[in-house]
Amino acid sequence: MIPLLIARNTFREATRDRVLAGVVVAGLALLALTQAASSLAMGEGRRFTVDLGLSGISVLGLLVILLTGTSLVAKEVERRTIYNLLSRPITRPAYLVGKWIGFSATLWSVALLLGLALWGLVVLRGWGGQGLAVLEAVYLVGLELSVITALAVMFSALSTPVLSALYTLGFYVVGQWSNDLRMLAERLPKELGMLLGTVANLVPNLPLFNMRTLAAEGHSTTWLHLGLASGYAAVYVACVLCLATAAFESKDFK
Amino acid sequence: MKGIMQTSAGSIAEWQTADRPDPGPTVPDPGLAVCVRGLAKHYVHPWTLRVTRGLEALDLDVRRGEVMGLLGPNGAGKSTTLKLLTGLLKPTHGQAWLMGEPAESTASRRSLGFLPEQPYFYDYLNGLEYLELAAQLSGMQAGTARERARHWLGRVGLGERPRLGLRKYSKGMLQRLGLAAALVHDPELLILDEPMSGLDPFGRRDVRELITEQRERGVTVLFSSHILPDVEMLCDRVAIMIGGRLTRVATVGELVEDGAQAVEIRCAPGALLELPKHWVGLVSRTQRADESVFRLEDEAQLADVLGWLLQAGVQVRAVTPQRPTLETLFLAAAEAERERRSA
Ligand SMILES: Nc1ncnc2c1ncn2[C@@H]1O[C@H](COP(=O)(O)OP(=O)(O)O)[C@@H](O)[C@H]1O
Ligand SMILES: [Mg+2]
Repeated sequence: MIPLLIARNTFREATRDRVLAGVVVAGLALLALTQAASSLAMGEGRRFTVDLGLSGISVLGLLVILLTGTSLVAKEVERRTIYNLLSRPITRPAYLVGKWIGFSATLWSVALLLGLALWGLVVLRGWGGQGLAVLEAVYLVGLELSVITALAVMFSALSTPVLSALYTLGFYVVGQWSNDLRMLAERLPKELGMLLGTVANLVPNLPLFNMRTLAAEGHSTTWLHLGLASGYAAVYVACVLCLATAAFESKDFK
Repeated sequence: MKGIMQTSAGSIAEWQTADRPDPGPTVPDPGLAVCVRGLAKHYVHPWTLRVTRGLEALDLDVRRGEVMGLLGPNGAGKSTTLKLLTGLLKPTHGQAWLMGEPAESTASRRSLGFLPEQPYFYDYLNGLEYLELAAQLSGMQAGTARERARHWLGRVGLGERPRLGLRKYSKGMLQRLGLAAALVHDPELLILDEPMSGLDPFGRRDVRELITEQRERGVTVLFSSHILPDVEMLCDRVAIMIGGRLTRVATVGELVEDGAQAVEIRCAPGALLELPKHWVGLVSRTQRADESVFRLEDEAQLADVLGWLLQAGVQVRAVTPQRPTLETLFLAAAEAERERRSA
């Protein structure tokens, strides 16, 4: 109950922020742009639109997280609005979980809105048969954004907005390359390889959430992939939020 | 005041020597609204590791239904104390209980209303939305919360524009909203950090009325202030803090009676009498256009001085005891603490 109240308020905060409206407009503009440009793509219009559309949703989601998500908790601590919450019968874990739910819900809404626009575009252009692939890809992007939000909440609970934006971005970038890191680790000397392998396993395995190329080709993915990605996201988020609450529990609000 | 201090000091000693039962220390007295034992907070600077002693070894009891004022100059440790009680800070030593529940448990905040110093709220909400959220977070159902939010917004004088965004609130309006948020869920214990600060005289009168009204409902109130008349007017007892230490706990009456009683004798203007030498320093005279005023620093001299005046044929108009104000006592306590520190 309490996490849901916090979540609703966080959702309200994010959706009343101009950043979000700006990002949605930018996303729609991007889709329009792909249409203008797809005539230049020489028969590759479908691939071009779907790939760029899906990448756009992911990158814009990341932008929202970096611009507002990473200051979610830090800003509340800095401005002391958190006094009004934590002096009520609310546990600190419930507060953090609420923040994550609320902000994830915001990103899911953005992903869904832009995803539906992309899907509509695909159907309108008569590239039928791609619809399902697009929706699956959007679902995976939503999962990816939820995972990154959990990281943003954790960093935001422990440091300043600027630092947590940097950490979150770092995890995102390294997470995108985690498969390559693992391959590299196998070729390196033992100790260095183990270190790199550990890093690769600590950052989120973001390639798992990426089926852009597949969707651009018009192929949908397997249920196993979707299930695996969902399970991985749930476990990763749970671990990150546990770490965050462990550190947040002993924090002083000065 | 002496009685209170002694009894509480006695029970503290007992509590400290008694074997603590294993599942955490038990409440010294579950009947107390607020119970503080050996509470201390040392702030450590993250870079320099310099330690600031925000609060040292505080023992304090607030009875249920009592209004207690926490009085002290800036930096005395009032906010530190109140934030420790509300769970926003973790103590370095010691423990506190609210309504019989340890301050680190969420249960202790179930019937707590807290007003932080210089409250700041979400500026993307409006007044009504904020109070509704506050009520729900304190455990009220959505329907009741909405109704109570409307009621309290009106009670603090913000009801005319319930949908005004909080970013457009003035400092005084924010303070009022903070009070409403502290009261919206009908708490049994109110902890208010400088509730009168930032308010105009009307606002301060409203806050005084609110506190009085809550006291009549049986609510326990603990508030901090450095505005002496407010404390004098409202409190059953006053706790004076200076430099992170509690220096006195007493009723306002006890504090005032403690000082030496000065007396003023006002007489009709007459012949300029020469004051006997042995009274110099004890008795002073002020000559005004329509009266002579003799001020005695200690009432012990009263009979002698009066006898002497009457014998000299002076027409005595009034004899008034001069009660020391809380202000003079407060300044004296601050001075004493400074001397103690420099010694
Ligand atoms: N966050 C903090 N870090 C370091 N020192 C602090 C902090 N907050 C308060 N202090 C110190 O603790 C003491 C008590 O402060 P405070 O409780 O705010 O006093 P008051 O509310 O009575 O004005 C002061 O000396 C202050 O400098
Ligand atoms: Mg203060």
